[in-house]
Amino acid sequence: MIRKKHFQQLADIVGEDFFSHEEYMVKLYSHDIAALPGIVHDVLNPSAEAVAQPTTTEVVSNLLKFCKKENIPVVPRGHGTSGYGGALPTRGGLVVEMTRMNQIHNIDREAMTVEVGAGIIWAKLLEDLEDEGLTVAAYPSSAPSSTVGGWVAAGGSGIGSTKYGGIKEQVVDLEIVLPDGTALWTSDTALDTFKEDKPEPFFKGDDAFYYETEVSEHTDKDTTHLFVDSNGTLGIITRVILKIIPLRTIKPLTISFPNMEQTIGAMQDMRRVATPFYLHFVTDEFYKMLKEVDQAPETAHEWLVLCALEGTPEEVEAEANQVIQSVAMFHGTVESDEIAHHEWEERFYPMRIKRLGPSLAPSEVYVPLEKMVEFLNRCNKHFKGERMAIEGAVNHKGEVAVLAWFLDDERRRIPFLFGWYRSLDVINIGIKSGGRAYSIGMWNVAHSRDFYGKEDYTKVSTLKKKTDPKGYLNSHKVFPGSLYLSTRIGLLIMLVAAILVPVVIWIAGLWVPSVIAAYVPWVFVNDLASFLLWAIVGCVLGFVVYEFANLIPISVVLAIGTPFLRLGRKIFH
Amino acid sequence: MTKVFDPLKEEGLDIEPTVCARCGFCTFVCPAYLDTLWDSQSPRGKLYQLRDLIKSKKPIPPDFAARIFNCTLCGACQEICQTNIPLLRFWQLTRQEIGNLEEWPEIVKYIDGALQESQNIMEMDQGDRTLWTDMVDDLVEDKEGVKAEVAYFAGCNISFKGTLAFMGENTIKVMEAAGLEYTILGEEEYCCGNPYFVAGGFEKAAEMAKHNLRKLKELGVKTVVFNCPGCHRAFAEEYPHLLGKEAVEGLEFLPFSEFVLKLLNEGKIKFTKNYPHAIAWHDPCELGRHQNIYNPAREVLNAIPGIQVREMKHNRSKARCCGGGGLLKGTNPMMSVRISGRRLEEAAKTGAEFLASECPSCTMSFNDGIEHASSDVKFKDLSQIVVEALGL
Repeated sequence: MIRKKHFQQLADIVGEDFFSHEEYMVKLYSHDIAALPGIVHDVLNPSAEAVAQPTTTEVVSNLLKFCKKENIPVVPRGHGTSGYGGALPTRGGLVVEMTRMNQIHNIDREAMTVEVGAGIIWAKLLEDLEDEGLTVAAYPSSAPSSTVGGWVAAGGSGIGSTKYGGIKEQVVDLEIVLPDGTALWTSDTALDTFKEDKPEPFFKGDDAFYYETEVSEHTDKDTTHLFVDSNGTLGIITRVILKIIPLRTIKPLTISFPNMEQTIGAMQDMRRVATPFYLHFVTDEFYKMLKEVDQAPETAHEWLVLCALEGTPEEVEAEANQVIQSVAMFHGTVESDEIAHHEWEERFYPMRIKRLGPSLAPSEVYVPLEKMVEFLNRCNKHFKGERMAIEGAVNHKGEVAVLAWFLDDERRRIPFLFGWYRSLDVINIGIKSGGRAYSIGMWNVAHSRDFYGKEDYTKVSTLKKKTDPKGYLNSHKVFPGSLYLSTRIGLLIMLVAAILVPVVIWIAGLWVPSVIAAYVPWVFVNDLASFLLWAIVGCVLGFVVYEFANLIPISVVLAIGTPFLRLGRKIFH
Repeated sequence: MTKVFDPLKEEGLDIEPTVCARCGFCTFVCPAYLDTLWDSQSPRGKLYQLRDLIKSKKPIPPDFAARIFNCTLCGACQEICQTNIPLLRFWQLTRQEIGNLEEWPEIVKYIDGALQESQNIMEMDQGDRTLWTDMVDDLVEDKEGVKAEVAYFAGCNISFKGTLAFMGENTIKVMEAAGLEYTILGEEEYCCGNPYFVAGGFEKAAEMAKHNLRKLKELGVKTVVFNCPGCHRAFAEEYPHLLGKEAVEGLEFLPFSEFVLKLLNEGKIKFTKNYPHAIAWHDPCELGRHQNIYNPAREVLNAIPGIQVREMKHNRSKARCCGGGGLLKGTNPMMSVRISGRRLEEAAKTGAEFLASECPSCTMSFNDGIEHASSDVKFKDLSQIVVEALGL
């Protein structure tokens, strides 16, 4: 909670021009790209109270020191282009938006690295590196608007990841401001720095402490990898050093296939005969939807694969020939250069089909390429009757980052709410098919331990406890936190209880008067005074329920809620 | 009495804020956003706010109305949009909604008054419409209101602003050099209505459009030549939209570059003189992104012996705005001049001697930007280059 007196103090720290607490402005920084169902919005209450745009690491440090002292929740934000809830405020507080820290500080041609401010946009970095004959090895499909720090915090793979790996493989070093305001570079910070002064007491029955006992004796000399994917829960990323590569030829190929099995089979073979820079497919259903919005080229078949090759002109030609030979076996048709370039240009535009919704319910999960057919069949069976578009891009480990889009309409409040389960179910189906969550953010918080692995999760948990025990920095992300229901919802619960309790007692009095008279004769509603008395009792009960609800972790709410959403969808779809 | 958001509803565009994917691609190409780095100035931020207002059927509040006009209508947001939202039209209709609420910015209200009063944006006497011909009066003295197949439409800026008159003079010199019979409308030339199209005052522009078309047809004109892309777009795009395609039947509208290219192709003019200069070409938004006209100017320049045409980093459909469009020069002159400053920096990086374009609004913006930023960049209009290269 930010008090009125804090606004001026925060503005003084960050600079008047870079601070706002105006309602309309704060609203714009309290959402990401995902549309939330109305009730979810009410329950989670993602509303910040102010926005700050720091310009230097020192300003970030001063902001965090002040916020920690004043107990103001802080949510770091890139440009809000993710949909996992990683940048959603859950307890009000201050959004720290990083886009003003957007400089290229240094290009090291010997080490082949570039040092940038965390708020630089990928597209700008690509443009400026291009002038130097350089480029980054991988960038996200949201590159035209997403920040470098944002992708580092959210994690994942993107364009170039088939050959060079995801963001984790690109980060060499990070400058981080810890929740207490300390700024450090992660490459020369040993994990010892973050170890608890006193070990936690051992208690076998508690899951959290069970993991505590598993801490490895091995000491990391470089903690960089722990901060990638950490969603800004461990600190605010202020500078990033990334690997760079020489700018070389990109040759895109688009190959169309008649069916799923041949598409996936050919993609496996393409990885055998070549090392594509980017290997991506869209399903026939997706292709049909693209046709509806005039964005699909005329191709021989409806399953499309984009295979982009990178290297010297000779290398890419040789690899292209290998790929072309290989796909013939799978009845693939190599489409024209014009189509190939169209598909390459479209790599940033996965949401073209949104117009058909006009909303999209998205989901993303990693699935091994060799399990893709099984996964797709399961999805088709599970989501029969739903308009679902699936695409996927292969990473360097042979996993497919699957993006599933469901057409929906957020203006239809109830069906849209119930449709939410599909996003969670795609992830569950992916995991059942041998996959893993794509990114954690807030919505996948239940998968945190599996995502990070037992050892790393323990390390980051320890680090979080040591530096931010109250969880003021990006709460509810990565580490499950309890609900923080809005006052509006609290009042609603109390009002409903205040009406419900006397009405139920009154009906019970009419329905089973003898039982009431025999066992609880003091319970009755027969006049206005008794109605009001029980209404007050109901109100108090409602308050207790509200407070209790605030103790339930969001992950539990999602786990309990999903089957109900699934059932509701069957009824309302 | 119209209901809130009727203009958007009538064209079925009230759903577009919901169609917006919030991907933010529009933000980093938007001159207003890049000037402030606040999402409230970006197309994404404005759509988000409009979505809530449309949903709750609430009118646009005055402070938000002012932000809607912090926009050059350059169309870069539409070009990059993930979900293909027709944003140019959307912003025009949103401005119409603001007009319906009588919340137009003061400068727009002033222009509205001037147009109603005097048929030009300067609130000057229509008798002064030919002020621009001072330096070529011997050439045009018998051209006003005569019957001819070719007409030159100067537009308000060139007609009344002395610093821009050279564009009209140059076009006349080229017409003379090509031996054309042509006409000018003189005091019968009314404003093309572009300020109204930009501000969403479509109905108010209708009378001007009808008058201009009637006068041109009375003179038997078949081809109308423009130096101003705003006027050109009004005739070529907005008039048919407003009055129906039949209203412009039999008329061809040519921007200066396309007109010169036509003369070159017909052999009526020829560049023979060496012109050893390097220029960076800036595509005016109203010709490029709005009308997909990119090549004629480049073809004309490439036909000049000795010239070097250098492309800026952002060119053609990705060209950044000069800062002068969408009435921003009036509604937020400081933002406008900062935007042109950023484009000038891009031009300087090419190492060209001149930045060049073909638009009076771009000319004013860049000259203001050069002065404000004390930039070393020099600006030339295409008509100057053509006249110099022809030795006229």
